[in-house]
Amino acid sequence: MWFGGLALNTKVQAGAAATPQSFNWRNALWTGRGLFETRDLVTIGLFAGAAKAATLVVALMGGGMNPVTMVLKSALFSALWVVLLVKVPKTGTLTLANTVGALLAFFLMGQTMITLPSLMAATLLVEVGIRSLGGYQGRPWLAALAVGLSELASRVIHIAYTYLWIREQPALLAMVAVISLLSYFGICLGLFGGLRMVRELRHAGLIQN
Amino acid sequence: MPGLFRIDGLKLAPETRLILALAGSVAALVARDFAALAVLIAASMVYLLLQLRVRTALWAYFFLSLLALSGLAGVWLMGFIFEAMRGDTFSLALLPFGRLGLTLNLVLPLALQTSLTGLAGTLNRLKLPGLLKLPLIVTLRFIPTFLSDFKQLREAVTLRFRGRGGLRFWLVRPVVWWRVIFLPLVVRLIRSADELAVASELKGLSAETDFGRAELTWSASDRGVMLAAVLTLVTAALLEAGHVAA
Repeated sequence: MWFGGLALNTKVQAGAAATPQSFNWRNALWTGRGLFETRDLVTIGLFAGAAKAATLVVALMGGGMNPVTMVLKSALFSALWVVLLVKVPKTGTLTLANTVGALLAFFLMGQTMITLPSLMAATLLVEVGIRSLGGYQGRPWLAALAVGLSELASRVIHIAYTYLWIREQPALLAMVAVISLLSYFGICLGLFGGLRMVRELRHAGLIQN
Repeated sequence: MPGLFRIDGLKLAPETRLILALAGSVAALVARDFAALAVLIAASMVYLLLQLRVRTALWAYFFLSLLALSGLAGVWLMGFIFEAMRGDTFSLALLPFGRLGLTLNLVLPLALQTSLTGLAGTLNRLKLPGLLKLPLIVTLRFIPTFLSDFKQLREAVTLRFRGRGGLRFWLVRPVVWWRVIFLPLVVRLIRSADELAVASELKGLSAETDFGRAELTWSASDRGVMLAAVLTLVTAALLEAGHVAA
């Protein structure tokens, strides 16, 4: 079953009894043991920080949120995420990275955390879907697909959340939708950029798999 | 942004600010009554001004509204608002902006708070799962390094392209941007990720590591602010209930 496979992200040693029954989920979710290694967690942390800093730099350089910077920063974000998924091709990487990014946005920029649970659920769903297709390992286009789908889900959730805010003025929702579409266009551009970048990085020997 | 402004005045534990910011965003979402929202906004304004100087608060407001409005193509937005306001009362049209103001007031002290080191201490106290804690602490430590990497690359590009590293250059030539800034940046990122991963494994760090627990200093001002917040929320809830009943 897929959740048994999820627990086997780590290498199973020969002879070790690593049945899904013996896997301690509570411990795994708390400490990451059996799901991620330290190097994975460090890499995820670095990429989350880089994505946040890069989008911040672009937003500040472009003088606020004009359409060009919005597309650009979404493109940078999704390209970084594709590279991350190729570097750490494990089920759960995207969920963890998105969660860390959301927590970071909350602590540093005060963005809301109300949408976080639904975002996590949507991303996890996408990842389980990818898992059933065989996982990210060696298939960058599946990583790009996962990023594209999870960002689509996050935009839908965001629009629904925004509707609650401006429910007295539904006309404003059109603008939110336009902004989301614009940034999603950037995300799609970034996916292609990310795939291209993965090719170059593999060629340079910086990513192996 | 945290470096741009300073927080003076009332010293509060980061946890207090965190709880208030969360409670504020929930309250903003729930509130439908103008009077209830007005009470919440007034209280949050007092909370903000207890911690920030008026000038800093105004700057922060100006900066954030500039960020928000620059993208919204002002005229278009105004068209929407006035069209929507024609059929409705003025107070109803103000509600979304009131919600924004409320969350902003509660979130600013959190966002402009203490150093990144202080934030790492807060993270330790929050008892987050190690799965989240380790990446978050790595992220907080890494952001300044990443920004200085970016600065160096940008200077290199400015030298190489003979001073054409200005704003226009970036906006007109996104492909060059991608190749000469972003790709090297990702290469550096991957290198640092590998190096840091090896270093942390050699040091025996893992998601189970206890990063040390800073003591929580829950002072009288924290208690006072929390009490005031609860009273405000109760008042707002009563007003809201009255609105629903009416």
